[in-house]
Amino acid sequence: MSNVQSSGTAAAEQLSALVDGELAGDEVARACAAWRGDAALRGTWHAYHLIGDVLRSDDLASAPSRDERFLRQLRGRLAQEPTVLAPRAAAVVPAVRLRRRWRAGAAVAAGFVLVAGVLVVTQAPAPEPASRSMAQAPSPVVPVAATTAGPAADTGDAMLVTDGKILRDARLDRYLAAHQRFAGASALGVPSSFLRSATATPPQR
Amino acid sequence: MNANDADAPLIERVRQGDMRAFEMLVVKYQRRIERLIGRMVRDVDLVPDIAQETFVRAYRAIGQFRGESAFYTWLYRIAVNTAKKALVDLKRDPVVTESALASRDDDEETSRVENELSDGETPEAVLASKEIAAAVNSAIEGLSEDLRQAITLREIEGLSYEEIAEMMNCPIGTVRSRIFRAREAIALRLRPLLDTREGERW
Repeated sequence: MSNVQSSGTAAAEQLSALVDGELAGDEVARACAAWRGDAALRGTWHAYHLIGDVLRSDDLASAPSRDERFLRQLRGRLAQEPTVLAPRAAAVVPAVRLRRRWRAGAAVAAGFVLVAGVLVVTQAPAPEPASRSMAQAPSPVVPVAATTAGPAADTGDAMLVTDGKILRDARLDRYLAAHQRFAGASALGVPSSFLRSATATPPQR
Repeated sequence: MNANDADAPLIERVRQGDMRAFEMLVVKYQRRIERLIGRMVRDVDLVPDIAQETFVRAYRAIGQFRGESAFYTWLYRIAVNTAKKALVDLKRDPVVTESALASRDDDEETSRVENELSDGETPEAVLASKEIAAAVNSAIEGLSEDLRQAITLREIEGLSYEEIAEMMNCPIGTVRSRIFRAREAIALRLRPLLDTREGERW
């Protein structure tokens, strides 16, 4: 207010330059530190920005007590946030995202292979599907239609079993296929940003 | 350098973990963000809450801000999305939304009380805003030609110090000092209006 010492003026002038983004490196650090430590400078920082806002538009004028209360409340909320930021963390983000995108792509591709696979298996004549599925499975494949104990026996759905492990279940495939189709259909109508997150999440976790 | 880059030094500080530097950006953009939200949301009591949520989200996501667009453009999008979501939630369940938007911390009662004290659209607040606008405008009129030109080129035209120096045919250091002196002169006129009720708590 009235205490305009020379040091205070110098700090305020630095702040004024920072308002305009015209302060470099270590000067920025110093100005930020001064801002943190000096309530009067924080008031100055607000005043400078308020002046700029009002110069551009009268309807941006705002009661300062209101602005001050807003910041105080926000400070309380930010204090509960985990510290998100380290310089290194910022660099890691793109790599993670890339991997995620790759996995999503791989998962979709795998889905198509599943669908293609079940088409091959179900369309094959029941006694002799082995010759076709050999192409996909290099290990010896024993097709079992109804002999294995399991849910497939009741419905007669085709299953592919290798060394006792189920590779292929037609009902599961149909389920996957139906959902694949669903995702595709909704993709046409929904903004792409929503779609991307929908396809990216399931394979991730 | 233009107005878009003006935030770069502060954003860099935030990236380095200086949370308080984020507060400096909040002080800068709070009024614009609230005005934006106020145009989307009718209920004036919800505006500060949505603005708070906007800044919290921006803080969480700032690591993903690449500087490809201006910081304000990025913040603007977050505000629009936050307001849209609030409107959708409000349609679905008006009661739940209001409490969900209030701060989630334990001292919800305190924040409630503060919300009630909110003077967003009270006659006093409107009057205070008008007084501030009038004081700024009359202070600008009272400036010397050099100071007025410098701050106008900066704040309204968004020119850099270098560009202003060229236009005013003077060194950059002089531009910097003129803009500072203009701000101080205007701030001096504002000070009687700027003292917050609780004293200087900034």
